[in-house]
Amino acid sequence: MAAGSLALSRLSSAQTAPGVVLEIAPYTLEASPKHHIRTVAYNGRVPGPLIRMREGQQQSVEIRNKSANPEIVHWHGLFLPSEIDGAMEEGTPMIAPGATTRYTMQPSPAGFRWYHTHTFAGKDLTKAQFGGLHGFLLIEPGSNPAPYDREVFLALHDWNGHFMSSDDGYMNPVYEVSTINGKMLGFGDPIQVKSGERVLLHILNSSPTDVHWISFSGHTLKVIALDGNPVPQPQTVPMLRLAPAERVSAIVEMNNPGQWVLGEVRKHVQVAGMGIVFEYANAGGTPIWNQPEDLVWSYRQFANPAASPSPAITPISLTFDAKFQGHGNEELWLINGLTYPQNSAPDKFPRLQAGQRYRLILHNKSMDDHPIHLHRHTFEVRAVEKGPEISGLLKDVVLVPAGTTVEVEFLANHPGKTLLHCHQQDHMDRGFMMVFDYA
Amino acid sequence: MRKSGVLCVNLIAVAVCLLAAHAAAAQGNYEIQVYGADTVAPKNLMVELHSNFTPEGQKYYIDGVIPTNHQEHETVELTEGINDWSEVGFYIFSSWQDGHGVQWVGDHIRPRVRAPDSWHLPVGLSLSTEIGYQRAVYSPDTWTWEIRPIIDKTVGRWYFAVNPALERTFHGPDVKQGLGFAPGAKLSYDLTPVISAGFEYYADYGRLGAVDSLHNQQQQIFAVTDLNVSPKWEINFGIGIGPTAATDHLIVKGILGRRFDWGKHSPVE
Repeated sequence: MAAGSLALSRLSSAQTAPGVVLEIAPYTLEASPKHHIRTVAYNGRVPGPLIRMREGQQQSVEIRNKSANPEIVHWHGLFLPSEIDGAMEEGTPMIAPGATTRYTMQPSPAGFRWYHTHTFAGKDLTKAQFGGLHGFLLIEPGSNPAPYDREVFLALHDWNGHFMSSDDGYMNPVYEVSTINGKMLGFGDPIQVKSGERVLLHILNSSPTDVHWISFSGHTLKVIALDGNPVPQPQTVPMLRLAPAERVSAIVEMNNPGQWVLGEVRKHVQVAGMGIVFEYANAGGTPIWNQPEDLVWSYRQFANPAASPSPAITPISLTFDAKFQGHGNEELWLINGLTYPQNSAPDKFPRLQAGQRYRLILHNKSMDDHPIHLHRHTFEVRAVEKGPEISGLLKDVVLVPAGTTVEVEFLANHPGKTLLHCHQQDHMDRGFMMVFDYA
Repeated sequence: MRKSGVLCVNLIAVAVCLLAAHAAAAQGNYEIQVYGADTVAPKNLMVELHSNFTPEGQKYYIDGVIPTNHQEHETVELTEGINDWSEVGFYIFSSWQDGHGVQWVGDHIRPRVRAPDSWHLPVGLSLSTEIGYQRAVYSPDTWTWEIRPIIDKTVGRWYFAVNPALERTFHGPDVKQGLGFAPGAKLSYDLTPVISAGFEYYADYGRLGAVDSLHNQQQQIFAVTDLNVSPKWEINFGIGIGPTAATDHLIVKGILGRRFDWGKHSPVE
């Protein structure tokens, strides 16, 4: 069950120092000497500090908002009460400019999670997830899913967006700058590795809207976890695909000395800066990039064949579609024909029963792919791509391609308001959300 | 989109004739289009066919120019994208008419540049210039030049474009007339994702600084529809009226365009 408590009052200096302090304040990111991005960040850095917590161990958190706008911190992938999960739609209070909030939580489940803002951007493509408010969160497990020598955390992000007409006739954000850990390729410090090391990469796509394809020249990636959850069938793959908010944890055997680029496979995104150099000890020369010729990825390869379905599953069918608003506007997003909040009214949607298992049947009738995120729960992907049903693939974000149907199941075991939404910031802002409530 | 330089030069010449002849205008409508600010992408070729028919136009020869009544004009426009902010267009004008058959009319070349996206302007902005030749039986002014600023803006379902074009004759009766002012404008509304409807306005006010009387100005307004069936296709239909004496009174126009991407693209892109 979700566990945590909230103390909204202003803090007194006599209180015990919190375990985690996040200070939200304006910050200028130097992505390169020629690219200075004025944004808002946690603790004066992008991405924010790596936070490690022990699963189930009570943790106090203090959030100071020194920015000019109300803020909120969403703990993405955790089973927390609605009051502190970090979504206004679930009932978490916003933190006013200048205010400080403190609460305690018992973080679970274990795995690679993250924290980020959960506010509205609208047409301002510097706000909310378009800015720098994101950071890594690792809930330490009792045992690691695979042996490794060291961990490296990488955040993919896109900056300086502006709306442009796309081929589908709608306005979509495009970006001038793309970074890994806040730096454009060639401008951050290389990651130093040693020959023979087993490096566990934790890669987060914190982009506000874009899917990213990542390969590591000279090396392969053994995927052991998706969205922080160990996969039933770890696989060695030539590249990764990460939809917005997705995470991949992969082991890399450092067995090819030299300087190598880990970066976006699509050239135009890498040119915008999405890449980072790995440098072996005592390696000379210049960083090498081997351009892949295809985009290769499948969720199915990491899953088990489907087991017998559970007898008591309640289906919930959700159809995603867009409502045209003119070629000079973004579309309005609809779930079952209604936008948020109309689609979440009590008469529009049945309440969840605690303890019941549900199957979400996600029909995407639109022309866009959508990374669908369910708050406060983990779901099991059961039907995706072509082929028979699968099992064992646990995630909190799944990419539902345009014109397809994806099916996921979850156990309703964390009572309280629960948000489901597309993790593309501009889609969220245009109504692509709904709130489940428990009976 | 815009109306061709051929047309405008013809219109100026005809307007001068009208002053003496007191006759309705003769004009040649070869490309009737108000330009949007965007340019064709690099390594892309846009092929357009402009088909314009004049059900009710000038019925008499004026100064050796063939009358426009019941003329069918077919113009092939080839536009190649150079880079993210420039293109070059090339035109082949032709005319068909009873008694004259199919005739080559002339050719124009039209380079264009636009403000790059990185400027983040609140409107689309580009600048086109066009130079070319047309036969004297279709236009007394045979060598002409045009410069055309283009501004456009999309707001929600509304689209607006204005082309305040200036024209100059290099060879022909109007060579001493200086710059002429021939603006075009468009206002349209997205009825659905596929269908837009609106109006296009074309005018030729005559010489800059000494505009013609309304009677002798070119004034046309078209009811138009654009069909946005695919990014590869451009489809535009319209019917226009010319209320002044110097304008063809009724014109039907159509544009069918197809974009060809001839660049090599990696599958990963």
